[in-house]
Amino acid sequence: MSEFIETKGLKKIYHVGGQKVEALQGIDLEIARGDFVVFMGHSGSGKTTLVSTIGGLTRPTEGTVLIEGNDIWKLNDKQLSHFRNRKIGFMFQSFSLLPTLNVLNNVVMPAIFSANSGKKDSDTLKSKAISLLTDLDMKRKVNSFPSELSGGEQRRVAIARALINDPEIILADEPTGDLDIRTEREVIDIFCHINNAYQKTLIIVSHSLTWLEKAKTIIVMKDGLIFKDLADPVEAIMDGVCKP
Amino acid sequence: MKILRLALLELLRRPKKNLVIASSIVIAVALLTSLSIVSNSANLAIMEIIAKTGHTLTVRPAVTSAGTNPEEKNQEYKLTTSEVVLGSYIPEAAVPEIMKYYDKAIKEGWEKKGGLVSNPGIPETSLEPATWAPRLFEKAEVDGQEVIVTGIEIRKEYFVRFWWNLTSGDWPAETDVRDVNTNVSTLYTIGSDGKVTIDKTEYGVDSSGRLIAAQDKTGKAAPILKGWDDAYLGGAYAKAKGLKLGDKLTINKSEFTIRGVLEETNSADDYMVFIPLSTAQKLFNKEGQISMVSVRAMCPNCPVGDAMVELNKHVTGITAVSQLDVAGVQFDFFNMLYKFLLAVIVSTIAVGIFSIFNIVTGSLYARIREIGMLKAIGASRFQLFRIFIYEHFILGLAAGICGYVLGLGMAYILNTLLDTGAVIRITTDFLWRALILGIVCSLVAIIYPAYKLSKLKITETFRTQWEG
Ligand SMILES: Nc1ncnc2c1ncn2[C@@H]1O[C@H](COP(=O)(O)OP(=O)(O)OP(=O)(O)O)[C@@H](O)[C@H]1O
Ligand SMILES: [Mg+2]
Repeated sequence: MSEFIETKGLKKIYHVGGQKVEALQGIDLEIARGDFVVFMGHSGSGKTTLVSTIGGLTRPTEGTVLIEGNDIWKLNDKQLSHFRNRKIGFMFQSFSLLPTLNVLNNVVMPAIFSANSGKKDSDTLKSKAISLLTDLDMKRKVNSFPSELSGGEQRRVAIARALINDPEIILADEPTGDLDIRTEREVIDIFCHINNAYQKTLIIVSHSLTWLEKAKTIIVMKDGLIFKDLADPVEAIMDGVCKP
Repeated sequence: MKILRLALLELLRRPKKNLVIASSIVIAVALLTSLSIVSNSANLAIMEIIAKTGHTLTVRPAVTSAGTNPEEKNQEYKLTTSEVVLGSYIPEAAVPEIMKYYDKAIKEGWEKKGGLVSNPGIPETSLEPATWAPRLFEKAEVDGQEVIVTGIEIRKEYFVRFWWNLTSGDWPAETDVRDVNTNVSTLYTIGSDGKVTIDKTEYGVDSSGRLIAAQDKTGKAAPILKGWDDAYLGGAYAKAKGLKLGDKLTINKSEFTIRGVLEETNSADDYMVFIPLSTAQKLFNKEGQISMVSVRAMCPNCPVGDAMVELNKHVTGITAVSQLDVAGVQFDFFNMLYKFLLAVIVSTIAVGIFSIFNIVTGSLYARIREIGMLKAIGASRFQLFRIFIYEHFILGLAAGICGYVLGLGMAYILNTLLDTGAVIRITTDFLWRALILGIVCSLVAIIYPAYKLSKLKITETFRTQWEG
């Protein structure tokens, strides 16, 4: 039995102006269903690259990504889009909401890219969106527009959007990067809630140590590799503590 | 929520940019619509005149018989009825022969076509014999200045040149100069229906150049023919000389009275002085000779071309040219104008599309972040492509509708400016064309950037957002 998510010898090489950048140098990784994984590590260590390879956004140069035993990088564009649409809920700091749509429509948006959604579907979809928003304490703002929301509220809407198609995996790259510590805690609590109540597998990338309080697994990356011998993750990240 | 609605909202999100794009399409569509409506209406009007009045055939002396070079011969067919032939002549006696071949060819061609050819706006017609009018051109001194004096048989002439109108004066009464005196046998008569009966006459000119009946059947002294000194002036000539109805003119020492001034027709006629053919023949010593004959076919869709071929084959010393006459000249004029304006508009559109292309490319790259997000949440390449296509389809459709409405208005203005005299005719075809043009313009500008963007790798879209 293979793991829920499994990567084998994952490599990603970028060519920038004749120079090779090895963003991933051969990653073997297993993530169990229902895990709450936080990736940490220095800037440029390859976190975003790894996570987007797993999410079907960045094609690896070498190696495989198996989700439930299926190699996602063997899918064509349509199948891969379907995979992203159905299996994964994305939440990136910069993947903002569409300003022209209200909260409700932003949340149901991934569904318009799912094949054949009829009128009946659209009603059930809306009530589902409303119940998600209610759960995230955003019921009052269903008809607001993104510009009328605070950063934390926008994040909740994005979380609801990530959940609308009932994906098994939530992938978030620095979802709290620009939030103050209190709001960040709130958002992390929501993720924790999703992990528990909805049984979603969470894959988070963050620089913030606040995540360490809630994460089930912490993976530290360095130079495109996973930092294996991990006595203290905090230590590993904070190797450059400012000393006199 | 549907992709279409998403596209519409996206479109409304950038009102200024899209307005710029839309307005250039609107202008292009409006220009093309108005131009095609006007030219179509003008052409239809011309076609109707042609259909109603029949084509005109011009018979002139063969240029080769006058001993000119082959190069000039090639020019022959470019001449129009209004053009003046000086120095070569056809004997008047050849006219019956010309008309014989003409009528025969028309009749045969007509029967070959299976009889009546129905024509818009024209009641069922039977084959009527053609009407013809001779002309004699001569350069002469008129009030001391050299002018083309044209001898015509006035009533026949204005029947053949149905577009002639008088700004002042009157046409001569029922009969022509040669049959005024009932004692003189007539060369021909024209009935009220324009039918011409040819006959023979004898006449002379007296010592002062006045036309007289050469012989009175009763043997009395020959009377001076009434109307021998009538003159009709081309509109431009009358205007330039300040001549009016009733004024006197001296042509080669003979005095004439102005009986009418013609409306301008934008042809050589405008600069001519017209006098009775018989007078002109006497005056210029060209008795029994004419410079050309115009034949007006009296049936819709007459096979005038066939007649032309027959005449050129069988009658020596002449060149027959079939043409759509004044209508044809107008036709050419509009076609030329149309082509010119079309070229201007097409280049405007090309420039327009290029600038739209730039705007679109720019605004699409500004949307990279959003495109990355849409891809990440599961939009396939094709679905993304569809968003762009829908946006620009809607834009093009709206611009097409606005352009059509504007174009209708412009058509009326253009029609007045060009003074086509045509009634504006609008069919749904113009609307369809406007809509298609609008949509195509809008889509052409977007397809390439949209295609490139939908193929963009998602991580590339991440990076631009970090950098931006
Ligand atoms: N599209 C790309 N083209 C070229 N090089 C890239 C590209 N994406 C990432 N890289 C390079 O690959 C390496 C890993 O980048 P990555 O974004 O995965 O790091 P990260 O751990 O997410 O960093 P951060 O914490 O700053 O987000 C870096 O050296 C980066 O410059
Ligand atoms: Mg990163």
